[in-house]
Amino acid sequence: MGGFFKKNGSIISTFFLIAITFWLIFLILIPQLYMLDLSFRPNLPPLLRGGPDDVYTLTHYKHFVFGSETSKDAYNYVDIGVFVDTIGTAILVTIINLCFCYPIAFYIAKLATPNATRLLILALIIPFWINELLRSFAIRILFAGEGVINNLLLEMGLLDAAVNFIALDVALYTGLTYAYILLMIFPLYNALETLDTNQLEAAKDLGSSTIRTHWRIVIPHAKAGIASGSTMVFMLTAGALATPVVLSSPNTFWFTQLIYQWFNMNDNWSRGSAYSIILLVVSVAFVLLMMRIFRVAIGEVVR
Amino acid sequence: MTSNRTFQIFLGLYISIFFLYLFGPLIIMSVTAFNSAEFPSITPWECFSFRWFNEGKIAYDGQRLAGLAADRDLHVGLITSLFIALGVVALSVPIGMSAAIVLTQVHSKLRTLFYSMSIMPVLFPGVVIGISTVVLWDRIATIGGEGIISELGRNGIFLTILGQTCFISTYCFLIFVARLQRFDTTQEEAALDLGASQTQVFMKILIPYLMPAIGSSAVIAFLASFENYNTTVFSILSEQTLTTVIATKVRLGISPAISALAFVIICLTLVAAVLYEFFRRRQEKKKALESAAKMYKEISSDRLKEDSKKAFIFPKSIFVILFLFLMAILGWQQIIKNNLYGGECIAKAEDAKKSNFADQLKLLQNNADTLESEGGDGGTGSTNEYNDIFGDPNLFKNFGGFDN
Repeated sequence: MGGFFKKNGSIISTFFLIAITFWLIFLILIPQLYMLDLSFRPNLPPLLRGGPDDVYTLTHYKHFVFGSETSKDAYNYVDIGVFVDTIGTAILVTIINLCFCYPIAFYIAKLATPNATRLLILALIIPFWINELLRSFAIRILFAGEGVINNLLLEMGLLDAAVNFIALDVALYTGLTYAYILLMIFPLYNALETLDTNQLEAAKDLGSSTIRTHWRIVIPHAKAGIASGSTMVFMLTAGALATPVVLSSPNTFWFTQLIYQWFNMNDNWSRGSAYSIILLVVSVAFVLLMMRIFRVAIGEVVR
Repeated sequence: MTSNRTFQIFLGLYISIFFLYLFGPLIIMSVTAFNSAEFPSITPWECFSFRWFNEGKIAYDGQRLAGLAADRDLHVGLITSLFIALGVVALSVPIGMSAAIVLTQVHSKLRTLFYSMSIMPVLFPGVVIGISTVVLWDRIATIGGEGIISELGRNGIFLTILGQTCFISTYCFLIFVARLQRFDTTQEEAALDLGASQTQVFMKILIPYLMPAIGSSAVIAFLASFENYNTTVFSILSEQTLTTVIATKVRLGISPAISALAFVIICLTLVAAVLYEFFRRRQEKKKALESAAKMYKEISSDRLKEDSKKAFIFPKSIFVILFLFLMAILGWQQIIKNNLYGGECIAKAEDAKKSNFADQLKLLQNNADTLESEGGDGGTGSTNEYNDIFGDPNLFKNFGGFDN
């Protein structure tokens, strides 16, 4: 500690310490811990908090698994269903994005000329600067009942009646894939860019087929990028709120919407906290799983 | 070689499809902003109009569809968003910088722990950060009783700045870490040896070196804050930012005014991107010229000098701009010629819709009359006919303003 003060001078050291403590302790650690604490407490009006009723309880987690005490079902099929749906869709979206982006990232990193690379990257960044809500809105215009796709298909005679893409969740899945696609491309691109082109040529000269080259050389080299991109896309998709708000059909719920409902409409903050903790645990578990599968350090996952 | 050729074609096709997927929805959304119809669409094209950028219109069901210029909520939200974004930049850039500098000074075990903690917020879902900020500050406000603490704890803008700073600081941190990795520490040592104080070293050496990182992290922080929804929607409480206003509007029913807003944002983004590319190229050229001049000085070869004296050449992009400009003029003329722009066209479309609406009302009236005369004695079996009224396929067909 003394060395630290000596190295930076007392004024700047104090500034550093205040800034970092404020951030790590006050903005990151304490809010999460308090939320964890709240999730184990009953939902009480503010005046009763800290009173004799304010004891630790598992009600909210029990509610997630078994449902409310008045319901007849053995388990809380609705909430668990929403949860499984959300996680399953997030995994699916991640896989689709990975397959969709890999060729593009490879092309930009290895095959395109430097000028083209720069233009392509700029072109990729532009849509990303536009608000997520507005991008979802664009998808909604395409898929709405009297939207562009329906009208086009009707005019071409491919459809007899308009298809309700939003009720079928086609719009939601497209929107989610669309929303975070760039967070898959950039880590992949960064990883592939460092690959030595000579290795590809050597593989080709030695008679390896294109697929084999990719499987044995390119993909192992890009694994940090794959892990990073997949983690990012999964986390953001599972935690997405803007896209489901715009695109989900009235009878489809995203897990974040469930949290929102408990929190804002039903005013049950501790249950909202409990559900948030569940989402948080799953997200962190996914990151750890990715680190284990691809054997990368956490620093490589988050660039 | 033929397989290579097909591969090339296939690749080109794939890339085109990819970029079509990326830009298609945005382009279509931009075009719908200029259609005068109440529902953002292209194919039943009514009139070319700027009404969604100006005052909007009032639909037949009395719903007011405000345009961009007339929408007060949007303006208030925009100002709040800008204010929050500035607050987030002011907090998160210094925090990210301090954390990154300190990271270079701590060692081994502590370093890993510190790094993991710093990047944790990126791995948290945005909603979780928003909720945790709100619940903590509500508690603080309750304990704090009356006064400034309780006021701050229930102030949506303050909470949003804190919540967003939590994870945006990490973005800044990562930018600073990347920049500091290439920092030459001997510079600092040299300055210290020459008698500078630590504060002077920090101000005169480290800060100037970090200036590009400060700039880019400020831009990133501003943009990330400006377009954040997931955290903001929880922490904003009773206030409204631009994103929450948009979300409310989209949920209530979709209006072309949102397309108009998106068009404005897309244009701003495009201008920013073009300017960025332009300045980068100019800087590169300047650098190349400088090095050429230096080389000329060193070896004094005439060949290099001639090169640097090249006449001004039009960049190729000028032709693209000219072409677009020409197309715009031609398209505009076509629109005027076909009477697709202006009050006349809109009046015609409104009339058509009004008469359609009147027809539908009449139809509804007729159906109700027949129902009344048939089931006059309070018949219980009239549900079928009752269903028929609303089952009429022509009913509400071109009514507009609805969305399934």
